[in-house]
Amino acid sequence: MVDFIVNWIAFTPVFAVPLMLASIGLIINERAGVLNLGAEGIMLMGAFAGVVVYIESGGVLALGTLGAIAAGFAVSALFAFMVVTMRLNQVVAGIAIVFFASGLTGLIGNPWTERAVEGFTKVDMGPLSAVPVLGKILFSQDLMVYASVPLVYFVWRFLHRSIPGMKLRAVGENPQAADAAGVGIDLMRFGAVVVGGALVGLAGGYLALAASKIWVEDMTHGRGWIAVALVIFARWRPGRAVLGALLFGGIEALIPRIQAVGLPVPQYLLLMMPYLVTLAVLTYVGLVSRTGSGAPGALGLAYVREDRR
Amino acid sequence: MRASTAISVGRVNLEVRQGIALWLHGLIVLASIVVGLGISVLLLVISGIDVSNVFEEFIVLTFFDSAGLADVLLEWAPLILVGLSAAVAFRVQFWNIGIEGQFVWGAIGTTVVMIYDIGPAWAQIYLMFLGGIIGGMAWIAVPAVLRLRLGVNEIISTLLLNYVAALFVLNQLFGAWQDPAAVYYKTAQFADHQRLPQIGWGQIHVGLFIALAAAALVWLVTERSRFGAYMKLVGSNPRMALASGIPVALTVLAAVMLSGALSGLGGYLVASGQEYALTIYVAIGYGFSGIVIAFLSRNNPAAVVVVSFLMAGLYVAGESIQVFYGLPEALIGLIQAIIVICVVGSDFFVRYRVRWMR
Amino acid sequence: MQASALQMTDIVKAFDGRVALDNAVFAAEWGEVHGLLGENGAGKTSLMNVLCGLYRPDAGRMAIDGTEHRIEGPGHARALGIGMVHQHFKLVQPFTVAENVMLANPQASWRKGIAAVSDGIARLSQELGFEIDPAARIDRISVAEQQRVEIIKVLLGGARLLILDEPTSVLTDDEAERLLQTIRVLARRGTCVILITHKLREVLAHADRVTVMRGGRTVATVAAAGTSATDLARMMVGDAPVDDTEPGRGGPVRLEIAGLTARREDGASTVRDLTLAVRSGQIYGLAGVGGNGQTELAEVLMGVRAPDQGRIALDGTDIAALHPKQRRALGVRNVPADRTTYGLAQELSVGDNYAATRLGSGTFGSAAWVSRRAVGKRTAAALEAFDILGARVDTSVRLLSGGNAQKLVLARELDGRPVAIVAHSPTHGLDVRACAAVHDHLRAAREAGAAVLLISEDLDEILNLSDVVGVINRGAIVGELARPVSRQKVGELMLGHA
Repeated sequence: MVDFIVNWIAFTPVFAVPLMLASIGLIINERAGVLNLGAEGIMLMGAFAGVVVYIESGGVLALGTLGAIAAGFAVSALFAFMVVTMRLNQVVAGIAIVFFASGLTGLIGNPWTERAVEGFTKVDMGPLSAVPVLGKILFSQDLMVYASVPLVYFVWRFLHRSIPGMKLRAVGENPQAADAAGVGIDLMRFGAVVVGGALVGLAGGYLALAASKIWVEDMTHGRGWIAVALVIFARWRPGRAVLGALLFGGIEALIPRIQAVGLPVPQYLLLMMPYLVTLAVLTYVGLVSRTGSGAPGALGLAYVREDRR
Repeated sequence: MRASTAISVGRVNLEVRQGIALWLHGLIVLASIVVGLGISVLLLVISGIDVSNVFEEFIVLTFFDSAGLADVLLEWAPLILVGLSAAVAFRVQFWNIGIEGQFVWGAIGTTVVMIYDIGPAWAQIYLMFLGGIIGGMAWIAVPAVLRLRLGVNEIISTLLLNYVAALFVLNQLFGAWQDPAAVYYKTAQFADHQRLPQIGWGQIHVGLFIALAAAALVWLVTERSRFGAYMKLVGSNPRMALASGIPVALTVLAAVMLSGALSGLGGYLVASGQEYALTIYVAIGYGFSGIVIAFLSRNNPAAVVVVSFLMAGLYVAGESIQVFYGLPEALIGLIQAIIVICVVGSDFFVRYRVRWMR
Repeated sequence: MQASALQMTDIVKAFDGRVALDNAVFAAEWGEVHGLLGENGAGKTSLMNVLCGLYRPDAGRMAIDGTEHRIEGPGHARALGIGMVHQHFKLVQPFTVAENVMLANPQASWRKGIAAVSDGIARLSQELGFEIDPAARIDRISVAEQQRVEIIKVLLGGARLLILDEPTSVLTDDEAERLLQTIRVLARRGTCVILITHKLREVLAHADRVTVMRGGRTVATVAAAGTSATDLARMMVGDAPVDDTEPGRGGPVRLEIAGLTARREDGASTVRDLTLAVRSGQIYGLAGVGGNGQTELAEVLMGVRAPDQGRIALDGTDIAALHPKQRRALGVRNVPADRTTYGLAQELSVGDNYAATRLGSGTFGSAAWVSRRAVGKRTAAALEAFDILGARVDTSVRLLSGGNAQKLVLARELDGRPVAIVAHSPTHGLDVRACAAVHDHLRAAREAGAAVLLISEDLDEILNLSDVVGVINRGAIVGELARPVSRQKVGELMLGHA
């Protein structure tokens, strides 16, 4: 039983980190007022690019990771061009991006499908990793797990304790005010979308190179959408997003654990869990949020300078 | 006092148009579709298809060939229904992205009648019709209530339920409902009396008439009825609608249930008219197609009928390209996505006048 | 000789082919308060938005302190010392006062920035006689305080050319007086203050010079001393309509509100134990400074906000728990403050909007169907009766002018003998002619026996129309006065001095 729990907790970060990176990226998007429903597609492109670059470079992990980031950056730039520069409907554009990414990776992805990769490996910390219980949980994770801790702190600090971060939030809360204060709305939003999108791409790359260690068509399986839901659960705060990602990572990590020990739970019903729990979490947020959701004031709205005369 | 707006990007100045002539609007949208198709053709050529074959496949063999046209008409029926489903929901600003799930549940509702042999044989095809509608409505009821009571974002909830529906079908097909005789995973075949009658041209069945009748009915409701007027007001400005004495929540609920029913009906058509079984592929692609059709039709039921016909052509042509060139299924989705992106993009030119500054 | 603070020459600006500024000319000097006067839509705000870099002019030249500049954007304008306090404040609600000031005045680092900005706020507010807590959140302070934040924000940014857009429209007479005194202090120190307004009294009392605009053109620039209100009015509108009213006596009580309490979204009670009664054939004017519970009161009466407690009775029947539909059936009508929120569906046609409240009543078709012919005919008749020119039944409401849109709301709400009408700021943002039309319609409804509750922040409107004036302060009625009403008395009650 102890083994089961230790294994479960030790496996949680691998599943939690993609959701965490994606929701942190989305928080950056949405704090600037851009609702990015294309997350699923951006993640998918990240996963695909990560695996392709990794395989084609002969297994250089850094390049694979960079490929995922670059793919996230590129797709987000397309999305940003649509919703920030052209001011198109963010909902429609986001959904279109998801299907664009799914179609594109499906069309060109064949040569790389179902080729197992080694990807991220656990960091060996010698004696530390050998410490019972804690060694497995804290000192035997891969590099990205450790890197994500300062990353989240940095994003929080940027958003809530820095001048550019404050400008970014002002753009998302009240672009009229930010514009009048001389903040370049389009530039800030474009930047927020591509930087956040790069993180979402990284999330996809990590998912493919660390969690599943393989590329298959539509492999993100709704994780992008779960990340969108996590942002709502987190009330657009990075700290709470980490909490939510750990919760969901825990659930996802539980599924293979249960299967591994051979508990007689129908596997397809088990696989429904992340989706049903997400729905439950959203319901919970709906039940408790009486004083507003904490959403940025201008979330989802294109900004057009306006005057009445 | 009129609202006026302007944006400047570098030396480009954008002005919000106060209105646009119908012909110009049409021209811009048409141009964007042409651009989208152009990119798609380019994509096909890159994928190794001869340009002249593209025309052959997409136009001649699809629309000017009896067998091809029959396939198009067959595919048309469910596409009309999913297009209507999306259009009805979008009209009240309910982003139903879960059409695929409701479609699956429509097929499940249909199949249940076969599996459990419900009712007398002569009535089963009608019970399946009801089962399809109930299945679709049941699956959208949860997101509808969550949105109306708790403000849960329906985009996420309907989408997540797509995965749940697909996993449920897998669970049944690999379990209780599996046909031991079949080579791949599906239920037993429907009996003859459980199938929609064919009209004797290709595989076309009476489902086409059901879909067209549904379109006529939806048009009447949205354009001519009080409920339709309520839908318009609620979709345009819910707070004004409430202050005007319109039962806003009820209107949204009714429209959303109608949306679910139409998707479920699509599932019924495919299960009872085409597949004659519940399979894991029953709903593939219909969800996004519905959204695309509604979007290109600007949620107008009459336009849905036309656009879904063209979309059916894309499906049929895409399938034959798949067969002959071995290109993956994802191709159709990609072409749809590209066309949508272009048409969404056209909105920019519809709303703004672009001027270069000196 | 010192160069002019500002010189704008032949400014042209068109939006989608409609001309907002037609070779407008404007000049102001250092150390003066310069009134910019004009009806709504005359181009005052557009001209100033050009100056602030919010609009890019199609043609024209601008010189600041004698040097010609092509203003590239708001940041550039600010660097040139131009600061504007907009009518709709440009403040980020969930941010604190200090954060808002810092947003507009970039600092090197977060921590030092907050400290420096807080110091600056304290120093300036002392000089100007305010009291502002830098750590207070914007959504927790009053409108007058928010305006002070705006002024401090602009001054800390080093503005020497201060533009105030309708600054007194959200203030009480007393607060406005204080603000105008502050402005004089600033001018004496050499700041050029441009005061955009349509209030003649203010301009004559506090400005050195006045520029009048009409239809996007500059009519004239005159010295305030030696110019009469009549002259300015003639320059503004040409033919100012005259208001002459006789007090209504009033019949039995029709609309009665007792012990009403309601709260805002953030949980703060803004309507507190409010009690009032409106008689048939009477206009009850509810005066008060904005933000004292008027919005929530109007929403409760509309039926879109649930009250915590209290009674709303129509001819003795309690309607507090009824759906808007049932209230309408009993004859309660609303002219909401914000047309685009509760009044009209912008994207729909004039006909759709006109029929919206009475669909299924038999007037526009049967219970199930809508007759497009009936909608067309009745809407066309209403457009005629309410003098809504240039609009057709199928015109999109978005394309209507503010005056026409408001007349459309009135046409709908006054149709079919209303019992009680709640009109909230019914002339806000309308030009003089449209204002007069709205007032005439409200008077006509009164003559027809309706009980009219007029909620307005415009004291002139209240005094002009009301038979009885009630004053709301902090969500409760603090005094009721019958005609003839003393302006000063109402002002004192509004401020809570009485």
